[in-house]
Amino acid sequence: MPIISDRVEVERKPKLGGGGPGKIPHRRGFGGGDDGDHGNSGDFRSREQRMRRYRVGMTLCIISVTAVFVLLTMVYVFRMGKGRFDEDAHRWVRDWIPLTLPYVQLWTNSLILLLSSLTLELARRSMAKKEEFAAMGIVPPRLGRDLPWLGITVFLGFCFLVGQVLVWNILRSQGAFLASNPSRSLFYILTGTHAVHLVGGLVVLLYAVAGRLLAIKFESQRIAVEVTGWYWHYLAFLWFGIFALVHFARG
Amino acid sequence: MTISTPSAATSSNRSFLRCHVFSTDHKVIGRAYFFLSLAAVLVGAWLSLLMRIHLVWPKATLLLLGEIKPENYLAQLTMHGTLMVFFVLSTVPQSGFGTFFLPLQLGASNMAFPRLTAAGFWTALLSFCVLMAAFFVPGGPSGAGWTQYPPLSALASAGPGQALGTDLWLASIGLFCLSSLMSAVGFVATTIHHRAPGMAWLRMPLTCWSWFVTSLLILLAFGILLAAVVLLMLDRHAGTSFFIPGGLLVSGKAIAHSGGSPLMWQHLFWFFGHPEVYIAILPAMGVTSHLLSVFARKPVFGYKAMVGATLAIGALGFMVWGHHMFVSGMNPYAGFAFSTLTTAIAVPSAIKTFNWVATLYGGRIRYVTPLLFSAGFVSLFITGGLTGPILAQPALDTYLHDTYFVVAHFHLIMAMAGVFAIFSATYFWFPKMFGRMMNETSGRWHFWITLFGAYATFMPMHLLGIAGHPRRYSELSGVQYVTAMAPLQKFITVAVIVTLAGQVIFLVNLFWSMFKGRKAEANPWECTTLEWTLKSPAPAEGFGDQRPQVNHGPYEYNISGAEKDFVMQDAPAS
Repeated sequence: MPIISDRVEVERKPKLGGGGPGKIPHRRGFGGGDDGDHGNSGDFRSREQRMRRYRVGMTLCIISVTAVFVLLTMVYVFRMGKGRFDEDAHRWVRDWIPLTLPYVQLWTNSLILLLSSLTLELARRSMAKKEEFAAMGIVPPRLGRDLPWLGITVFLGFCFLVGQVLVWNILRSQGAFLASNPSRSLFYILTGTHAVHLVGGLVVLLYAVAGRLLAIKFESQRIAVEVTGWYWHYLAFLWFGIFALVHFARG
Repeated sequence: MTISTPSAATSSNRSFLRCHVFSTDHKVIGRAYFFLSLAAVLVGAWLSLLMRIHLVWPKATLLLLGEIKPENYLAQLTMHGTLMVFFVLSTVPQSGFGTFFLPLQLGASNMAFPRLTAAGFWTALLSFCVLMAAFFVPGGPSGAGWTQYPPLSALASAGPGQALGTDLWLASIGLFCLSSLMSAVGFVATTIHHRAPGMAWLRMPLTCWSWFVTSLLILLAFGILLAAVVLLMLDRHAGTSFFIPGGLLVSGKAIAHSGGSPLMWQHLFWFFGHPEVYIAILPAMGVTSHLLSVFARKPVFGYKAMVGATLAIGALGFMVWGHHMFVSGMNPYAGFAFSTLTTAIAVPSAIKTFNWVATLYGGRIRYVTPLLFSAGFVSLFITGGLTGPILAQPALDTYLHDTYFVVAHFHLIMAMAGVFAIFSATYFWFPKMFGRMMNETSGRWHFWITLFGAYATFMPMHLLGIAGHPRRYSELSGVQYVTAMAPLQKFITVAVIVTLAGQVIFLVNLFWSMFKGRKAEANPWECTTLEWTLKSPAPAEGFGDQRPQVNHGPYEYNISGAEKDFVMQDAPAS
């Protein structure tokens, strides 16, 4: 019936470009819409633009996170060198007690994180291949020896977090609590801040994994994986920075 | 809350809440920031009035407030500073006008990450509510100053507001950091990514340049503050000792903490705090450069130099934090380095000032309210700026640091100059934001009262400072040399009352014009930038499908050969 099909046409149009008022379909790939999730299929240029936009945003986030960790490192170094003034002896005494690190657990965690970085990279590559199909409106086929890399990454991410909790438990069983000594405080703060940032990455990855269930477009899934990939590799890099700091600057 | 009527096409299939409240439209968010700051400025100004009255009539008990004790005075001081610095000066010029006009001036139809920008606003609102909640908790708000120096801010037993009040302060500022970071990511991505075709970097209006540089500063500075606030929270609640030194006695009781450094907080805070000064003033400078060119009907003098100076100020802003700490007992060599770098900021600042004056020189100046406020900005910036190099000398600062001289300096250059830029931007962009013109006559009254009021308030404070009147005290009766300065203090309080009364003119004008003002045409000021190609108020759909093609620079006024005295940025290339 022509009348019904007309109505469908009319209703579909404002949906281009996605939610919110003043949402403009991004026809020429600029501005427009929040992330144009519901519509706007097939326009290659605008897809690339969207990807670039998210990459710029992620770069900015990474800059900001770096500032935080540079600050924490400075606090670490400063606090290590500083002590308290002993009134009786009338001189400065260092109050920094070196930490005995649970190296086995830490190396296991490092390995897990490194592995998850690798699987995420594989997930990213496999999605990049599938994108060509998605762009043409074909449900992406299962390629060759294609494991659910994304799911594995999320699993490994959780393993890393559990591993970090184990590290903290080992330290606590040694009597090293947050408030016992600045070396302990800073170890917990550095690893804790890193873990919090990792959780942020995990949430986005979970969103991508749950893509089918939430009816998220393949394109959005891909952007999430791509951008989180940058973030994830950065966090792995950051982890080794933290590990190096607490190892080489034990005090 | 919002006034504009969105076009029928978009409002028909969206609920009222989605359009006006939980919107991801940058115009709705920009306006919401404007009203948030308006609420903050009213509370902040009210607190300053209470403090000024208490300073000269300490026995006066004001409506419902009872007697003001010294700790109440400190709490008012803290909240005044926090509200004004965070929720007014760094909110409305950047997040308010920036969110509204950055996409429009760049020819984009929204910010790069609209949901993130919206989340930024809601976080800022939450942060404001948390801060305000401190007024209603036992002990009242924190009294440790907007800089929250430990150990006062780190120990709950140190004062009535130091328990829950300070926790709320820290929580609020932590949220504010997150909000600013979210907003800044959107700003930078929009500027890099959403410029219309032909909008080259050097065709961006200077407002966009300053929003861009400010966002970069926010990205680097607010993360630092957030981390510092978390460390202070851990000191307060988890028993760590980053900022609390050993051997402290509070009310006769020894504190368990040991080995922390209060000085480290000062370093962390001011490493954020000095860029924060530029976060507040750079957008104001951008607005001023823009408006002086518009109303002098002349291109900005030295556009590239202005851009360079903006970048230089942004970069130098990260190297001078130590000049807030000359009296902390830092190494004299460090003081020398900070002093030299601080004085170096005079160079880009002088470039900007010279260019503003040169832009006005020989122009066909249109004396309307936005121009008056912009010229007022330049005047206050020079007056406040001249005391900068004085305070940049460690030897002089040691004497002046804890006196009213510093109060005069930062209020003139940051607060008053910033507020003048906010006023000029409000009068200037009001038609685009609300579709109507503000009243010109009351605008002029407002300007002259505020200008004379600002000078009458803060100029005498220089004298108080030079004479050695210390700041931050609620009452100094009985100190003879201070008592001698009482008449000058009274004069200042009267000036404050007159100035604040003058702001009623502005408020009435603002709300009256919103509903009853003369309807504005698309381009009432005859500007060249892209936001004026849209009808007033800016329609909900922005540029729609008509993406502008930019062919001209942002300040083409009185170009010979053109038919009018201005060439729109999207006019066909000649």
